[in-house]
Parts: sequence; C-alpha cells; structure tokens
Amino acid sequence: MNRRALYAAAIAVAVLVIGAVLTPGLASWPGLRAVLVVASFTGFVAAGQMLVVLVGGIDLSIPWVLNAAAIVLTTTSLGMSQRLPVALALAIGAGLAAGLVNGLGVAWLGVPAVVMTLGMNGVLQGLTLGLSQGLTCDDCGHYAPSPLRDLFAGTVPAALLVWLGIALLVTVLLRLTVFGRRVYATGVNPRAAFLSGVGVKGVTVALYTLSGGFAALAGIMLVGYGGQASLGLGDPYLFESIAAVVVGGVSILGGRGDYVGVVAGSLTLVAVTTVLRAQQVPEHGRLMIYGLVILAILFAYGRERAHD
Amino acid sequence: MTVEATGIHRAFGGVLALRDASFTARPGEIHALAGENGAGKSTLIKVLCGVLRADAGTVTVSGRVATAFQELSLLPDLTVAENLLLTAPPRGRLGLVRRSHLAAEASRLLSLYGVSEIDPRSPARDLAVSQKQVVELVRVLALEPDVVFLDEPTAALAQREVDWLAGHMRRLRDGGACVVFTSHRWREIERLADRVTVFRNGTHVATRERLTEDEAITLMTGRTLDATYPDVSAIEVGENALTVTGLTSGRLRDVSFDLRKGEILGVGGLAGQGQRDLFLTLFGARKPVAGQLSVGRSRISARRQPPDDGRVVARRAFGAVARRFGVHRTGERWSLRGPKDAIRAGIAYVPEDRKAEGLLLPLSIRDNIALTTLTRRSRAGFIRHQAENAAISDVTGKLAIGAGRATSRAAGELSGGNQQKTVMARWLLTDADVFLLYDVTRGVDAATKHDIYHLIADLARNGKAILFYSSETEEIAHLCHRVLVLREGRIAAELAGPVGDAEEIVAASIRETADA
Repeated sequence: MNRRALYAAAIAVAVLVIGAVLTPGLASWPGLRAVLVVASFTGFVAAGQMLVVLVGGIDLSIPWVLNAAAIVLTTTSLGMSQRLPVALALAIGAGLAAGLVNGLGVAWLGVPAVVMTLGMNGVLQGLTLGLSQGLTCDDCGHYAPSPLRDLFAGTVPAALLVWLGIALLVTVLLRLTVFGRRVYATGVNPRAAFLSGVGVKGVTVALYTLSGGFAALAGIMLVGYGGQASLGLGDPYLFESIAAVVVGGVSILGGRGDYVGVVAGSLTLVAVTTVLRAQQVPEHGRLMIYGLVILAILFAYGRERAHD
Repeated sequence: MTVEATGIHRAFGGVLALRDASFTARPGEIHALAGENGAGKSTLIKVLCGVLRADAGTVTVSGRVATAFQELSLLPDLTVAENLLLTAPPRGRLGLVRRSHLAAEASRLLSLYGVSEIDPRSPARDLAVSQKQVVELVRVLALEPDVVFLDEPTAALAQREVDWLAGHMRRLRDGGACVVFTSHRWREIERLADRVTVFRNGTHVATRERLTEDEAITLMTGRTLDATYPDVSAIEVGENALTVTGLTSGRLRDVSFDLRKGEILGVGGLAGQGQRDLFLTLFGARKPVAGQLSVGRSRISARRQPPDDGRVVARRAFGAVARRFGVHRTGERWSLRGPKDAIRAGIAYVPEDRKAEGLLLPLSIRDNIALTTLTRRSRAGFIRHQAENAAISDVTGKLAIGAGRATSRAAGELSGGNQQKTVMARWLLTDADVFLLYDVTRGVDAATKHDIYHLIADLARNGKAILFYSSETEEIAHLCHRVLVLREGRIAAELAGPVGDAEEIVAASIRETADA
C-alpha cells in the first residue's frame, strides 16, 4: 500500500482526536456515526473521482450526475417502496449512461476530460432543470421510499455497510484483478500500456462509466438521508470529491493511489467541517480554514515527494 | 584543472550511485567516461554540472559549462526554433520576443553548425529521435562552452551524425575546451578520446591514454567476455513467419519482404528512413495507407511451453482461431486494429525508448513483466498470484534481471541494461513467434549487450522470427542472416549476411543518394 494512504489515515484520526477534545459530543458513537454517515457521501463520489484520476483524468460532471440521479429516483419511485427497485435501476443506469458518454468522448473523440465532463455537467443541469421545470421536488411532494430512509436508521446504519462494501469492492478491483493492473499501467504511461497490449481506451471508458455510477449512488444515498431530492443537491460534491482524492494521497497525474487513502481523505474533510461547525466558526471563517487545512496537507505531500 | 571532483558520494533512496568517486579532466582534451549501466556515469555528470548535489565530496569546475543530458530535454510542443532559442530568444522593443525572427535566427544557428535537414519551424515532437538529439547538441554547442558534458550523445545518432558531432567535439577541444562524453560504443571512444576514465560500481577504476576494448571491458565489468557476437550462420531458417506486401505507411513506400522462422532479418539504412514506421505499423501501432500483412502460423501449439492448466489450453486454442481470422486476411483492408491484435497474432515489439514506450517506471518489475500476459494467469478476471510469481521468477531468473533482488521493486530503480531486460522478459512470456526488436541495445552496457545478442540468437534457434533494427550498424552487420537497407522509405538493397562489415551497409544506405 502506498505511504500516503497511511498519512491520510493518520491525519483523519488526528483531526477526529482534536475534534473530540474540543467538542465532547464527537467522542461518542452517535457523534462519530454522524461524521461517518456524512463522510460516506463524499466517499461514494470520491470513489468514482479516484478511478478517473488514476488514469490522469477528472470528472467534473459529478454534481449534476448526482443530482439527476436523485431526481430520477424520486420522480420514478414517487415515494412508493414497491417502485424502489425499478427507480434504483433507472437512477444508477442514468449515472452509468452519463459516465459512458463522458468516457466515449474522452477516449474515442479525444475531447479533454475537463471539457467533456464540464459539458456533461451543463447538459445534465439543463436537462434536470428543464424536466423538473425549475421546481424543487420539495414542492412536488415526492419523498424517498421508506426502505431507502431506513438505511440511515439504527445503531450501525446500513448506509455505512454499503460504504464498507464499496470500499472492499473498489480495493479488490484495483488490487486483485487484471483490470486493476491495467488501470495503473494506463495511469502511469498510456503509451507504454498501449504498446503492451492494454486496451487503454476501453479502460478509460470503463472508469468514467463507473464514476457516473458512483455519483448516482451518492445521489440515491443523499435522497435516503434527506428524505427527498432538491436541485443543487450535488453542488458541494465536485470540490469534496477532488479534495478527498488528493488528500487521500492519490496522484493527480495518475497511476498512484488507493481507495483506503480516499476513505481517510473523506473522513478528514468531514471531520474538519464538523469540528469547525461545532466550534461555531462562522461560515466564511469555516470555508477559509477548510481551504487552508487542505492546502497544508497538500503542502506536506509536496515536501514528502521532494525527499523521495 | 578545469574539472576536478574528489571523494564524491551520492545516494538515491539508500542506493549508492557514487561512492568516493573522483574524476579530473583538463582543458584541451576529449575525455571519455566509460562504464556499464549503473556504474554512475550519468550521476557523475549531473553532479559535475551542478544538476545534482553530492552528499559528500568537492567539485571544482571552472569556465562556462554546457551539458547535453541522456534524457532528451526538448519541449515537445515548441518548435525547433523555440527550443533552440529558449533561453535567449531574439527580442524587439519592450523586450518582447520577436517571433518573426525566431525561425530565421534558428536556421542561421543550425546552418552555422552544419545542420541542414531539420526545419526550425517543425514542432520538436515530430522529429525523429536522432534529429532531436542533433537539436539538443546544437543548443549545447551554440553556447560555445569551455567545459562540455555530453551524456550518451551518440546513442540515437547514425554514423553520419556521429561524424558531424565528432568534428565539433574536436573543434571545441582544439579551441581549448574540455569535452567530457560517455558512450557505450567502444569504436567512438577509441576514435575520439584523448583519455579514457573507466567507472565501475560508482567509483573510479582507471584513467588511461591508451586502452584496448578487451582491457576496457575487463575494467568495466571486472570479468572477461567471450567473443562479442554469437554465430548466427549456423541457425536453421525455416518457413515464412511473416509476409509483408506493398506496405505504405508514414515514410514507408511500397515495402515487401518475407521474414522466416529462425531468421534474424536486419533493417539498416541511415536514421529516419522509415524504420520506425515499419516496426510500429507491423505492430498495429500505426495505421498504414496500403499494404498487406500475413502472419503464418501453421503449427500453433507445437512449440509452446507446456501450459499450466487445462483452462489455458482452451483459451490459447481460441486465441489461435482469432489469430487466423483476425490477421491472415487477403484484400486491401488492413486487419490489425492495434497492438492488441498484433499480440494476439503472435507479434512482439520491443521499442527503442524503454522509458517512454516500454516501461511503467514507478510500477514494480513484476507488474511490468506481467502486463501483457495478465489474462493467461487469471481466473474470472482475478489474477492468480501463485502462477504469476512462478512465471515472473522463472523469466527473471533466466534473464538474470536485477541480480536476484525483489521483483516488487520499481522498474525505475533498475539500471538501463536491466530495464531493457525487463521489457524483453515481458515479451518472452507472450510466446510470440515474431519479435520486432527496435534498437534494443541503445544505451545498454557492454555486458548486457552481450547477453541480449545471445538471447536474440537463442530466440532464433527456437524458431522465432526476428526483425532487428539498431542504430549501431555494426550489430546489424554481425547479427543478421539478411539485411534490408531502407532509403527514403523503400528497400534500396538486400544484403546476404552475416555482412560482417558495417561499412557495406553504410555504403548501401548512401550509394544512390550520392548518385542522385
């Protein structure tokens, strides 16, 4: 495993310990659970973001893929449990489809990832706003089906088990499979990978597709958590996903990184926000400190590379 | 003394590259620095010119210093002119760069140094490796330095360009400059150097005015090597393995030839006559304009190593079917859609630039070797690690890669020779029938070169067909059953081999150009 993943984990623990000292509530299981649940949303989107970053790409379409999937879920399920399987399939399918288009554009048409995914984000934003006629689903009265909301109930919410499952899945995919090896090879040197018989384009398309799927999953979980979908639901998750990936020690140039690190990165981000909020730091101060903490961590990584 | 270094230590992540190394060079001499890969030559040069800091020791270098590094440092998206004048572009009023003067200034510079075939307006990425090296050297020469370090300046150059460079090195020396260079080609060292310093294992072994090749190899390796080239004339050449008809691609024009099993077919000619296009096209990495390729594979499983389980047999048999339909095809349509298809058809390609096209430097030796044959050692997409470890330790043992150290180390930590062996190992695992070897000994030390020659001869003995290009014509002359000489994209001559004398190939490369 890569050394930075351990650093990221250490930072997450350190922030939580500091938080526990400053705000007593955080040290309890309910306090920790709340952090974990909120971090899981970042963890889902960051899983997809990490996959594309591993091959030197980026997915800027996450916010509205997430949002579109959330709206698809609520409008097709209409809050009815028996419609949930179909609604889930449609929402995930929508995410995968958006990711597939991203991947095809990047790999086959050669559109730069930033342009392709930003365009996709815009298209989906327009589509979602148009089809929902600018109304938040608050107004439509469509709520999340109850099984989805139940994911967040209980001492150990099922949502956390979903995250654990995803973490295992991604780690196994990257570390133990032929596909995983090809991902790292493509990320390190696409030309050499191509000349070694790796289907670089196929790998790229698969990763963008997965990223779309993970964004959709995050949308679904957020619907379950909040009970409903709203427009702008995904807005924070572009920054969060990229920050979690880099804080988690994934090289933004590709070819290096683990999901374990990204999990730690997600926890760090949420822990910082939680602690600042508990300290009643005003919004503007929170944003500044949040940004500074991320810069400080990345500065430390930069130093570490210089010493290698 | 113009250059003096004593007691230099330098380590990379715990590995000592230089230990108590010393080196001196005088003004008015050409000083060759010889040694195997990993002997510390490049590190020493980097320390001497100040790019790397020594962990201990003192360095004194007086005068204006210019260095050409082994890794080409041109910026690929800038033009030749922009690269040449990067640090001192022509300026107009307000100190802005006068773009209109750039090309003129650059072509003046190029012609001043006797370079005529490079367009200053073309982007650096479009140049052949040899041309990039020439531009790099012009940039260094143009500084008119007192001390010049040239790290492997001739590795990518053809004979004519080597002569060009030699002329400039002598001119600089006669003007009182100190010229230090490294090379793996003994002939050049013999021809050019006033003194030779030999390095081994990061330290100074000897500095001499006269040194024979045998003495040098003994000093560099610490052991003696038997006859440099294996005898290939005794190898039996069989039926056709690869037939190329009317291939036009890149610089190639209507190229046709057969390559037989057990044959080492050399591709000669001056640099940049379409050799690279030929190799890339045969491997599916470049789309041809016209032409046909058929890969003969009458007996598919007969020569293969015993498969490790039944599953692989089935998959290979299926692959064989794909081979027949995928590549052996008639008509004008090319059926290789990419390297994947070529690999399936039993073609292997070892590229010239192992760092850019061959290796995944930060990944482990194991990952690098296993990459192309991953699916053979997998079940339902999961890698079977035991099978993988067995295969890797088998092939690394056979090729003596990394001197028995862990295969989990990054390929980037290996010396050039071991890196090249790592790339070769990857292709040995594929069981390919046709090996396209493009300048595989470039920048490789004498001992590894020797190993690679014997490896190639062994492949041929086992019935593999080998297409061999080298920027060292000497190798083509000694190692090949037959030599195709390319000129302006066409086969200008076919020489029966082993030619033995490189001059004959060089003569065939330039004969008609001189007539025209």
